[in-house]
This record gives sequence, structure tokens and C-alpha cells, in this order.
Amino acid sequence: MAALLRGLRAGRALRGLCSVVAAPPAANPQGSSLRRSFHCAALRLQDESKSDKPPSSSSTTYHEHYQAHSAEQDAAAASQDDSTSDPAAEEASRPNTSYQDQSGEQGEEYETEEQLQARILIAALEFVPLHGWSMEAIAAGAETLGLSSASTGMFYNGAGDLVLHFISQCNSQLTEILAEQHKQVQLGQAEQKRTADFLRDAVETRLRMHIPYIESWPQAMSILLLPHNIPNSLKHLSSLVDDIWFYAGDRSTDMNWYTKRAALTGIYNTTELVMVQDSSPDFQDTWNFLDNRIQDVVNMSTTAKQVQSTGEAVVQGLVGAAVTLKNLTGLNQKR
Amino acid sequence: MQRAARTALFTWPNVGGSTMIRQCLKCRAPLQLNLRAYSVIPPPRDSEEKEMLDRMLRVDHAGEYGANRIYAGQMAVLGRSRTGPLIQEMWDQEKKHLEKFNEILAENRVRPTALLPLWNIAGFVLGASSALLGKEGAMACTVAVEESISEHYNSQIRALMEKDPERYTELLQVIKEFRDDELEHHDTGLEHDAETVPGYWLLKNAIQLGCKAAIYVSERV
Repeated sequence: MAALLRGLRAGRALRGLCSVVAAPPAANPQGSSLRRSFHCAALRLQDESKSDKPPSSSSTTYHEHYQAHSAEQDAAAASQDDSTSDPAAEEASRPNTSYQDQSGEQGEEYETEEQLQARILIAALEFVPLHGWSMEAIAAGAETLGLSSASTGMFYNGAGDLVLHFISQCNSQLTEILAEQHKQVQLGQAEQKRTADFLRDAVETRLRMHIPYIESWPQAMSILLLPHNIPNSLKHLSSLVDDIWFYAGDRSTDMNWYTKRAALTGIYNTTELVMVQDSSPDFQDTWNFLDNRIQDVVNMSTTAKQVQSTGEAVVQGLVGAAVTLKNLTGLNQKR
Repeated sequence: MQRAARTALFTWPNVGGSTMIRQCLKCRAPLQLNLRAYSVIPPPRDSEEKEMLDRMLRVDHAGEYGANRIYAGQMAVLGRSRTGPLIQEMWDQEKKHLEKFNEILAENRVRPTALLPLWNIAGFVLGASSALLGKEGAMACTVAVEESISEHYNSQIRALMEKDPERYTELLQVIKEFRDDELEHHDTGLEHDAETVPGYWLLKNAIQLGCKAAIYVSERV
């Protein structure tokens, strides 16, 4: 606790230096995110930072949004890590003027390994259409940041890291869009969509994020199916589906929780598969397929409800007939 | 959320008209829920805390669901006997507990346990078969189950107190209240001749073992 306070005071003193020395092009979001991460370490309050960020609209550029969002995510993650930054990466990025406690507190200049990896992967996305989802793309991305292509050594999972990072960013983007829509509905500025429409729009929005990389998407999908990537890709998929259902208004606490999510996972996966081999203009065939699948699920649930109510009516009828029979045959009389 | 609802209410006098009123009526319910910063569970600080809370809430929800089904089974057999009203009263309290946990789970996006259908059937069968042993059998089952549940709630209370009693005040309040209700059921069972059932010791321990296993599994699956 005392060490933390010492670090805080030292940090404040050095903050003046920070603004002078900050080199990277995206200094502002990075600097503010480091300041935030510093406060996070001291105060252990993560969610405040999220409320400072304006909700991103689709008009912000991909890159800007990813930067801002990754900085936010890493600010949240940074408060828990013992930062074990790669000394080579540190030297490569910019001169580190603050050597604070070796206990691993966040310095103003100190970038964690996660943050650096995130920056490299974001830069690497631009090279995916050219090199596919591979180490070459990551190396090219590292080079645009002024790092040597040997920094790909940080990525033990190689292309898997790149793909997983991309899908987690897409999921976060979708969650923000859904949260924004939810807020609009709460404010009364928008009507609550019907469930089927909501699901269709959410899945379409999410799949449209693949369009820039659609040529190489089959490669990405096969990377996600590699055994060592399956736990992570399943985790991302399940959190995506959970988010979509939550914002669609699902508050069930019984088996419906599972059946709904299973159905949506099936819809999402099959639509993704249709999308990679769709050549119609603006993927119209894919969206038609999606519509039909959602309609199928809606029909099935309606049918299930009808079967249940019919069953109840039939049982009531049978019981009535049995009582009538008992009355007729005189078995109901009290002796 | 709170700000949003307040804004909606402030613009109401200016706009008027039935659509605005309808929208504000929709807003009113969330406003009531969110006047406090959070209702029962504080927003988790990190994924570790979220996992711990998820686990606790999941198993509590499963427990209340199971207890519900046990009483349903007992009512199905003993509903029309003299002990019917007593069991019904205890069942109603369990229904309230289950409702509360349903609310908490929905608010906090906690996954319910996948074994709910199993607890559905197992609970009903346990309740019905213990009731077939007569009123004393049903009371013995109640005593065993309520003792397990109270022990379980006590260990949760201990765990939360060790971590941070101030942060979890509301949750602790809820769990303490429910534990007191369960203890009351336990005492009611004892008052109504639970211990006179033949094989009481065996029955009680078998049921408690089953409860422990159910708790262990529901935390994880």
C-alpha cells in the first residue's frame, strides 16, 4: 500500500516529462490510456474509464476505433498484470525515462506487452489481404510501427493470435453497437425491434465486419478450428451469442437459456459458411439465408408452444371423458 | 441508465402526447430498479470476482429450484392430508426465494446450471418418495435438505465476509434472510415428528450426501 502511494507521487512528478517524450503517432489515446491505467492500478476502478469514451458510431474509421478500444481494454487488463515487458520491445518502441519500482507498477512511459502486441496486430490487419492470416502479415505490421520483424517472436500462436485478436475486436465492436441501440430504446428514441429482426440485424452487422477480409476468411476459419485454438474461439463465440441474446431481451434462467444460445450459434455458424462462398452482390444470398434460418427457429418455437397447449387440451378432454364414464357407470357414488 | 430515465421524464411536460406517456411509462420501471447504484450484486471488478459470484449464484439458484421441486413432490402425495397446508406454506416461501434468484441471475447475466432438468426430476422424485413414507418421512426429508442448505448458505456467508463484507452487504442480507427461512423450515420439520421415521439416521445422511454432491456439481456445470 505504501509502495503504491510512493509510486503515485513519483508518477505525478514524472507526468510532465511524459508529454514531452511521448513519441508514437497515436500519442493522445495512448497517453490518456496510460494515465487511466495508472489510475486503475491505484484506485482499482475500471469501469469509470469506459464511460469517458464516447460511444463509437460506424462512421469512425476502423483503425481509430480499434486503437481506442484496444487502449481501453488494455487499460482494464493492465491494472491486474504484473507488467513483464519485453526489454527488446521496450527499447524498440521509445526511450524509457521512468524506471520506477521494479515491483512492476505502471509507469507513464511503460507499455505492457499486451498493449504492444495489440498495436502490432492492429497494424498487421492491413496486410492480411496481401499475405493472408500469417506471420508475414504480423511481420509487415510490426515493420510499419518501426519495430523489427523479429518482434513476431512475441506471438507464440502466430496466425492464431492475429485471428483471435480480430474476432475479439469485432465482438467488442458489435457489443458497443448493441449497447448504443439499447440506450436509444431506453431513452425512448427508438422502438424495440421484434426478436427475429433484432437477431437478424445483429448477426448481419457482425458478419459484415468480415467483408474486408472475406477472400482470406476460409483460412481464418480453418485456423480457428486448430485444436489449440478451439477453446479460445469457442469462448469468443459463446460470449458473442450471449451478448446478442442479452441485448435482444432474453432474461431466461432455465433450459431456454441453453436452447436459445445453441440455436443462435447454429444460425451464426451456418450463415458464416454461406457467406464465404457467396458471390451475389452485397452478399444478398447470405442475408436471405439468414432470414430463412431465423424464420425456421421462430416457427419451431411457435410449433413447440402449440404442441404443448394442444397436449394440455387433450389431457383435459381425456380426464373429462373418464369422469363422465365413472359417473355413467355409477362408480362415483359414495357407498 | 438513470440519467437516461431522468431525461425522459424531464422532457415529458414539454412534449406531451400519448406516445411520450407510453414511453415514459416504459421508462418508469427501470427507474425504480436503478435508483440505487446496484440492486444486490455489485458490478464485478475483474473476471475472477465475476466467476466467484457466478458460481455462488448459480448453485443457490439450483438449490432453490431443487427445493421447490421437492416440496412439489411432497404436495403431490400429501397435498390432501392434514400436513398439506403446512407443506404448502413452506413451498410458497421457497417459491419466493426462487423468484428472487431468478431476478438476480437475469440482472447479472449469470448462466443457470445445465443440470436443471435433472434437479427437476430428482427433486420431485425425492419429495414424492419421502412423502410416500408418510408425514414423518416428508418431514425427515425436509429436515435433511434444509440442514444441508443452511450449512451451504452459512459457508457462503463466511466466504463473503472474509472477502469484503461492505462490498457485498446486500447480497449478504439476502443470503442471511434465506438462511433464516431455511432454518425455520428445518425446525418446523423437527417439530412435526421427523425423527420418528424408521431409518431416520440413514435417510437423513443419504439425502445430505446427495445434496452435497448436487451442490458440488451445480457450481461447476
